[in-house]
Amino acid sequence: MFEMRGIEKRYDAVVACNNASLRVAPGEIRALLGSNGSGKSTMVKILAGLVKPNAGEILIDGEPVTINSGEDARRLGISAALQDLSLVPTMSVVDNILLGVEPMGRFGMVDRKKSLDDAMALLERLHVDCDPEVYVQTLMPSAQSMVEVAKAVYMKPRLLLLDEVTAALHRDEVEILFELLHELKAQGTAIVYVTHRMSEMFEICDTATIMRSGETVADVKTNEVTLDEIVYYMTGQRPEAEAAHEVHHMAPEAREVVLEAEHIAIYPKVRDISLQAYKGEIVGIGGLEGQGQPEFIRALFGAIRPEAGTIRYLGEEVHFRSPADAVNRDIGFISGERNREAMFPDRTVAENIFAGRAARGMTFAYLSAKVVRDFAQAAIKTYNIVAGSIYNPANSLSGGNQQKLAVARWIALNPTLLLLDDPTKGVDVHSRREIHRILRDCADRGMTIIISSSENEELLDLADRIYVFYEGRVSGVLSGASKTPERLVAAMMGLAQAENNAVKEAEQA
Amino acid sequence: MMEGVRRAFERFRRTPAFMGFSLFIFVLILNIVVQTPGQFFSARNMNSLFSKNVPLLLTTMAMTPLLISGTLDIAIGIQLAMVNVVSVMVFQQWGTSLYVGFLMGMLASLVVSVFCWFLVSVLRLPAMLASYSLIYIVRGINVLVMPSPQGRIPDAFYKTYDMRLGGFFPFSALFPLVVLIAWYYLMRTRFGRNIYAVGGNPRNAFAAGIDPVWVQFQAFMIKGVITGLAGIALTLMTASGNPLQGEAYGLRSLSAAIIGGLGFGGWGSMACAVFGTGFLVLIQNTVYYFFSLLTKAIPGFTVTSYWQNLVSDVIIFLGLLMTIVTAKGQREALRQGFVRQFKRRERLGD
Amino acid sequence: MTDTARRMTFNQRVQIFIKASPARMAVIISLMLFAITVAFNPPSFNANTLNAVLLLTLLLSFAAAGQTMVLIGGGLDFSVGAMMSSAAILTTYLMNGQDGKFWLVFGLAMLMGAAVGFLNGFCSIKIDLPPMIVTMAISNVVTRVGYVLTQGSPSGWVGPSFRQSIVAKIAGVVPSLTLYALIVFPLVFFLLNRSRFGKQLYLMGNNPTAAALAGIKVNRVRVLMYIFSGMLSCFAGMIGAGYMSTARAQIFDEYAFTSLVAVIVGGTAFTGGIGSYTGSIAGALLITVLSNGLTVLQLSQPIRNIVQGVVMILLLILYNRARPVRQ
Repeated sequence: MFEMRGIEKRYDAVVACNNASLRVAPGEIRALLGSNGSGKSTMVKILAGLVKPNAGEILIDGEPVTINSGEDARRLGISAALQDLSLVPTMSVVDNILLGVEPMGRFGMVDRKKSLDDAMALLERLHVDCDPEVYVQTLMPSAQSMVEVAKAVYMKPRLLLLDEVTAALHRDEVEILFELLHELKAQGTAIVYVTHRMSEMFEICDTATIMRSGETVADVKTNEVTLDEIVYYMTGQRPEAEAAHEVHHMAPEAREVVLEAEHIAIYPKVRDISLQAYKGEIVGIGGLEGQGQPEFIRALFGAIRPEAGTIRYLGEEVHFRSPADAVNRDIGFISGERNREAMFPDRTVAENIFAGRAARGMTFAYLSAKVVRDFAQAAIKTYNIVAGSIYNPANSLSGGNQQKLAVARWIALNPTLLLLDDPTKGVDVHSRREIHRILRDCADRGMTIIISSSENEELLDLADRIYVFYEGRVSGVLSGASKTPERLVAAMMGLAQAENNAVKEAEQA
Repeated sequence: MMEGVRRAFERFRRTPAFMGFSLFIFVLILNIVVQTPGQFFSARNMNSLFSKNVPLLLTTMAMTPLLISGTLDIAIGIQLAMVNVVSVMVFQQWGTSLYVGFLMGMLASLVVSVFCWFLVSVLRLPAMLASYSLIYIVRGINVLVMPSPQGRIPDAFYKTYDMRLGGFFPFSALFPLVVLIAWYYLMRTRFGRNIYAVGGNPRNAFAAGIDPVWVQFQAFMIKGVITGLAGIALTLMTASGNPLQGEAYGLRSLSAAIIGGLGFGGWGSMACAVFGTGFLVLIQNTVYYFFSLLTKAIPGFTVTSYWQNLVSDVIIFLGLLMTIVTAKGQREALRQGFVRQFKRRERLGD
Repeated sequence: MTDTARRMTFNQRVQIFIKASPARMAVIISLMLFAITVAFNPPSFNANTLNAVLLLTLLLSFAAAGQTMVLIGGGLDFSVGAMMSSAAILTTYLMNGQDGKFWLVFGLAMLMGAAVGFLNGFCSIKIDLPPMIVTMAISNVVTRVGYVLTQGSPSGWVGPSFRQSIVAKIAGVVPSLTLYALIVFPLVFFLLNRSRFGKQLYLMGNNPTAAALAGIKVNRVRVLMYIFSGMLSCFAGMIGAGYMSTARAQIFDEYAFTSLVAVIVGGTAFTGGIGSYTGSIAGALLITVLSNGLTVLQLSQPIRNIVQGVVMILLLILYNRARPVRQ
């Protein structure tokens, strides 16, 4: 029996976990669920020895233990396949699988032959077809995920932690993985399975622990709950309790095409995507995580060069060489990866808002402090950003306000086309609603908006039409009456596409 | 048989050492042409090539474990001088055997390495700047120990260093040879895996139960030993003490390593260090002989040592520029590999 | 609030105090150091010393101007020293005692600075290596070119009026170099704080990815900052030559390191995006006072070397520790 009790973890002011708990017994597969930022990854990382909790205890068979490193975790029989955190890309597959537990031969040397044999056996069991001596970085993402799993199970752990390992896997690969998990379960391994995919959770897990904003809110048996109940625990809201959505309909005749992307491909994520956006329209892009949405949006903005396909903007074909080119053509981009791609954390609030203006115009033009100040203050007033002083650094603001800064930065420039990549990730409900209101206002004033989101309600709420991506293709376009949660989810799982293909095949036959 | 050779070559082509190897072979042929094969392969020429360049080769080799484990020490050059100064002063002032001096020099090198490790791994200071500050400290200590160039080691020592074993094999080449053998043994142990994991991604290595700080400590100790050997080789080569020599070895060895294909963290091997140094050394050699050819061919044409220094620094710079091409090639190869795998799957009708 | 304050470690509290205003901190330390120096050696408090300290501070703050810019932009320019030396050699060689050649020298020095700066910028963008290595390699080449052109023994001297415009004493204490500062300081201040370029530079240094996605042409800004750094370094080299009146190869190479230390003492971060030129000027004062102190206390060259290295390491510990692997 593995147990975590009263876990608390703070990163400065941000609380990742607060009085969180988790229990998993041998032979049990337990799902750990929660929306983005609910603290489930933190829990897994604490068990793996990567994060040190501020408070709380970890018990194994009733005995309190401390896990200070990956070494400690391994000694206690805990192994983990963490998303993007397990493999060393510049090492070979076999070296990765056996890292830290290499079979030893004579003179303190690693037994190379046994290493290769062991790795091969494991790879065959997982049906991964690759040379064990190639560098991991040369493998496809799905094969990398499988190697991650292989690495985690190689040491025959008592507790196996799997964090979103199926995100990059195909259905048949998921089946193979589940077979392996069933075997391990029969052998008495305790498994914690973190996932976004509810269908998988119902299929493989016995029990589920659900977290919301750092707290454990429910502990259920999967065969005793419904999806709605789980969603209720995750969000704290009954799905029906939400206000009815206001549905926006555009008059089809008034449409002027602003952006037209045809057959865009960016290997390996985006395979063949075509999309149109009309003036004054909000186009949503939905899909499970990692289906090519971020890459596609960045390709429209010139941050990634697509390998195939054409982009037509305002009626002419464009090849943006850099984001600066796109910005010059009045295209804006707001990233949900605030820290990495949007914020200038050490610069002031005023400068953060002014960044979009700063990018354009004469490089050596005189810029008085007043211009910056007035611009920033106007934006703060318009968009209701709570900032102590505009001269405070941006990282003194809360996540929601930071995101509003990024939104204000672009809206104030009034772009023709605004691209947003999951802009409300980790943003509080209040700020989110306000951002939605701003976007809707802008669209009504004629701005074209393309928004990708990992949250279905957001898309259903906001978008006029939704393109759903699955495995780098468009698996469905929803609008008007077809814009329902059920259809969206079906398209996200690639089900609609399967139907379409079946129809096509039937037609061909 | 042919198939086996082809596959081995394909595999070699994908290793980081391949680019360094190609450059090395290219300049080797160039050098042989300029100098004529008879002269180039003469025992004398080989011997002087090795004895003059073993310190640089060893310095680059010392840098290698650091680069693989994701750190570096640019003060490595002045540390050669420290080994040299300590060895000569112990020998001269204490009247002990020179072997004791070398031992003390080696110890000094280890102490500095541990100090650098403490700054870089334990205190987590930026390696480049911390080690640059270390140059000043080591230089100060060197001058305190030996205020001006002085001393002379017994004839037997430097004569042995310049000796040819069996009439051909340069004695000086034994140093890198021993290091290479020891290194290839180490690479077969668990340390050989850990060092790449730590350099490639310290977080992930930590997750796999490897302590990055400890692995970097081991890397720094190995660097300390090889630097000690390099300092000893330098002492044998110059046969005297000089507290301010060798500083340029820091940047030169780093350049050699990078040209040879070593990356910052988890990418590259000892072979890269050897090829990279070989490239730098041979191209300078080639330039030297080319200039002397010119001097002979064109009456009145003379070049000063300033010109040769300039050419050698320009070559280092061009070598770094060359990494633009190599890095681009590697990225492109990686991308194409992806596209290939991707297309294959597509064909299999996934 | 008090609770958080109590939970902070001593190290954190020191860092917060320094970061509140690094320039103020540097000035305070400078004054304390100067007081200590005077206490140990009272006769060292005289007009000449003050004049020398001011003069060297200004020279160092000129040398640090470009470095400040580059560090704010998230780069590192190690060619400052080599550029100063080369510009100094150029100045004495071309001027050779004739003041009339000032503008010619000035023009050529700026051209040289811009050219090498461009090379620095271009290569640090194209070569996927830390800028320190790239600029070091380039600065070595610059030094070698200097040797080749002068064959190791530079000749000439600066014009007498040019020299006077630097070393003449106003009111017995203030060096006339201050007049140059009246041009350089506002210029740098304009570039960093009152131009679009400055805004772009700070943003790029703080987060290059976000800057590029905000539409800033980051490569252009990066090349420009190295060009400015090169030009400012060459200007500092000219002034240095005027002060020394003759030059030799590698005469100002030490400034690569000292300028960096001054900039960092002044609160500019290696990580980019944070810093000010005011801080760098205060940092230059601190470094000059420290080195004056070491001279007055008659410490030998090796000891001074060691002190420099230790000071730099202490600064790194205070300002620039990376995050641990485990959180």
